[in-house]
Amino acid sequence: MKPNLKLYVVLGAVALMAMPSVAQKTPTSMVAAYDSLAKIILNVRQAEEDLVRAMLDGHYHGAKAYMKQGMYNEAAAEMALFANEGDNAVAGIRKRLVEGGHHHNAAGEEQGIYEEGYVLVTREAKKEMLASSTAMRQAKDDVAREAAWKEFAAFAEETLAE
Amino acid sequence: MAVTIPTIASGSSPPYFVDIAAEAGVVAPTWCGRDDKPHIMESNGTGLGLVDYDADGDLDLYLVNGWRLDGAEIAERGRDVLYRNEGQGRFLDVTEKAGLGSDAWGSGLAAGDANGDGLLDLFVTNFGTDVLYLNRGDGTFEEHPDSPNLEGWSAGAVLFDSDGDGDEDLYVGGYIECTLEEVLAEKPSLVWEGLDVMLGPFGLEGLGNKFFRNQGGGRFEEATAEAGLEDVGLFYTFGILAADLDGDLDLDIYAANDSNPNYLYSNDGGVFQEVGLWSGAALDEGGSAQAGMGLAAGDVESDGLVDLLVTNFQQDMSTLYRNLGDMIFEDVTRSVQLGGPTFSLLSWGTTLSDLDQDGDLDIFVANGHIYPQADLVADKVGGGFRQPNLLLVDQGGTLVDVSAEAGPGLAVEKVSHGLAVGDIDFDGDLDMAISNVDEPPTLLRNDTKEPGTFLLVDAPLAVRVEAALGDDRWIRHRVIGGSFLSVNDPRFHFGFGDKRQLESLTLIWPDGFRRRLLDVPLNHALKIER
Repeated sequence: MKPNLKLYVVLGAVALMAMPSVAQKTPTSMVAAYDSLAKIILNVRQAEEDLVRAMLDGHYHGAKAYMKQGMYNEAAAEMALFANEGDNAVAGIRKRLVEGGHHHNAAGEEQGIYEEGYVLVTREAKKEMLASSTAMRQAKDDVAREAAWKEFAAFAEETLAE
Repeated sequence: MAVTIPTIASGSSPPYFVDIAAEAGVVAPTWCGRDDKPHIMESNGTGLGLVDYDADGDLDLYLVNGWRLDGAEIAERGRDVLYRNEGQGRFLDVTEKAGLGSDAWGSGLAAGDANGDGLLDLFVTNFGTDVLYLNRGDGTFEEHPDSPNLEGWSAGAVLFDSDGDGDEDLYVGGYIECTLEEVLAEKPSLVWEGLDVMLGPFGLEGLGNKFFRNQGGGRFEEATAEAGLEDVGLFYTFGILAADLDGDLDLDIYAANDSNPNYLYSNDGGVFQEVGLWSGAALDEGGSAQAGMGLAAGDVESDGLVDLLVTNFQQDMSTLYRNLGDMIFEDVTRSVQLGGPTFSLLSWGTTLSDLDQDGDLDIFVANGHIYPQADLVADKVGGGFRQPNLLLVDQGGTLVDVSAEAGPGLAVEKVSHGLAVGDIDFDGDLDMAISNVDEPPTLLRNDTKEPGTFLLVDAPLAVRVEAALGDDRWIRHRVIGGSFLSVNDPRFHFGFGDKRQLESLTLIWPDGFRRRLLDVPLNHALKIER
C-alpha cells in the first residue's frame, strides 16, 4: 500500500504546482469585472421589481389623492393603471421584454397566475382591481365609491406588500 | 352589468342579402401572397372603399390589391382597381382612364379632401410607399408629389380635420417592420395546433404609427410626437377610426392593435392624449389584450354616446364597448350575447349599421382565417380558412345570429377581410362590398323584403345628426375609417321601422353650429349644407 500512497502524494503535488499557472491565465481584473456583472445580472430582476413597485406606488397614491379631492373618474383611471401595471407606454416596454425572451414571472405565467410580462400584479388581483375601477366610475353615491375603493385598496396593498 | 339595445321601432323584416359581384362586373381578384401563407404579410388581405370619386351622386368602388407569390418569386403584382358605378347594378372598370392602377402591394384605403379643393382624394396604404392620389375633378387622379407615407407595412389610415383648421390631417397605422426579401424567403416557423404556420405578430418588430398635419393645400408634415400620437408600444396596428368619442364635437382616434392593448387617443384641440388603458377600451373585460383587427363605431343605445366594436382572432370574442361618457367604456360583450356567435370566427371588417332599418344598429362581420392550415383542424378550432360572414340583429336587447336566414349572400364562405358599407343602388338601404383574399370581392345587395323607412343624410363635415319623433331619438355620428382598412359611404343612414315622418332632424357641426329641420318626410336622401 505504501508505494501507492507515495504516488498519490506526488501526483497531488504536481497538481498543486500546476494550479497557479492556470488561474493566472484569466486576469484578476477580468474575474472581478465578471463578478460585478454577475451581481448585476442577478440584481436586475430585483431592480425591475423595485421599479414596478415604485410605479404602482405612484398610481396608488395618485388614486388616493384623487379620491380625497372627489375626482372619482381620475381615481378610477389611476386604479386601472395600477391593475394594468402602467399605461400603454409601459405595455410597449413589457412587450419588447417578452419578445426579447425576458419573462419575469415565467412560472406564474405558465400556471395562469400572472399575465405575460407582469411583475407584481397577479391575474386575479388585476381582474378584481379593474372591476373596482369600473365600479368606481359607475358609483352613484359615496357608499358605492367607498366599497369600490376598499376592494381596490385591499388588493393594492397586498400587491405592494409582497 | 346588463345593457339593453333598444328596439325603438318595428315594421321591418329580417335583412336579406344577395351577392351580385359577378353580374355587376366586379370580378378582379385581390391577391395576398402564396397559397400556404408562410409569412404574416400574407395574412393581411386588402381593404376597399365605397367612394363617390366623380361626384355624380352614386358610390363607386375602389379595390386595393396585393401581390400573388409563387415560392420565392413574385408571380403577379396585382393592380388596384377603380370601378365606376354605372347604375342598374353594373360597375365598369375605369382604372386606366382614371390614371390609377398602382401595382404596389396594397393594404388599405382612406378617403377625404386632402388639398381642400372640394374633391375626394384617395390615400392608399401599401407594403412599401403609401400614395396620396389627388382628384383632378375630371374623373382622373394624379399622385401627390410629396405624399405622406409610413414606408413599410402600413395598414389603416384616416383623413380627418384633427384641429378644426378646416383642412384634413392624416393618421396612418403601421403593422410590422419587414422587408420583401424576408417575405419571399419566409418558411412557416410557428407550431399552431401541431401544424407549421406563419410566425407572428409576436416576435416581430412593430412599425410605428404616424400623424401628418396638413399645413394647408395638401402639404403634409409629420407631427406625431407634437400631436401626442406617438406609438409608444410599437404595437401592431390594423384598423383605425376617428369619431367624437367624448362628446366634445372634435374627432378622437381609436386604433385596433393586434395582440396588444388598443389605443384610444382623446383629442383636445388637435393635441391628443392616449387614454386606452384607463378608459376601459384597450382590453377586454378580463383585462386581456386581444388581437384587434377591425373596428366599428355607432350609437347603439341612441344615448348620444359613440360605442365601439372591435373584431378579434378565432377562439376569442369580438368586443363591444359601451360608452359610459367621459371617455369611459365598459365591455358589454357577454351581456349583449356577442361572444357566442363570434368566438369561432377570425374576424376582420365590421360595421354597426341599421341593415333592416328597424331603428337599431345591427352588426355585420367579415371573417376568414389567416392560416390555410386551419382547414386541417377546422372541427377542433371551430372553423377553417374560409369562413362564413356573420349578421347579428338586435332582438329584445340581445344580439341574435340571423346569418342562416339572411339570404344567399350570407352563405358565401371566403377569406373575407375588407368591408365597406353604403347604398350602391339608390334604394335607401345599405349594401356591402367585401374584399376576399385571393378571390374577387363579394358585393352584397340588400334585398330585405320589407325594410323599415329610412333617411340618408349627406351633410359634409357634420359630426352628429339627431332625429326625433315624440320620445324616440335616433342618433348617428360621423365615423371616419374603421372596418378593416376600408372606407364606408360617408352619409348618415337612419332606419325608422314603421314611422312615416320625423318631428325634427338636428345637425351639429364640430364648432357647435346647429341646423334644425322640422317635419321631415322619410324615405329620402337629403343633402344639407350648413
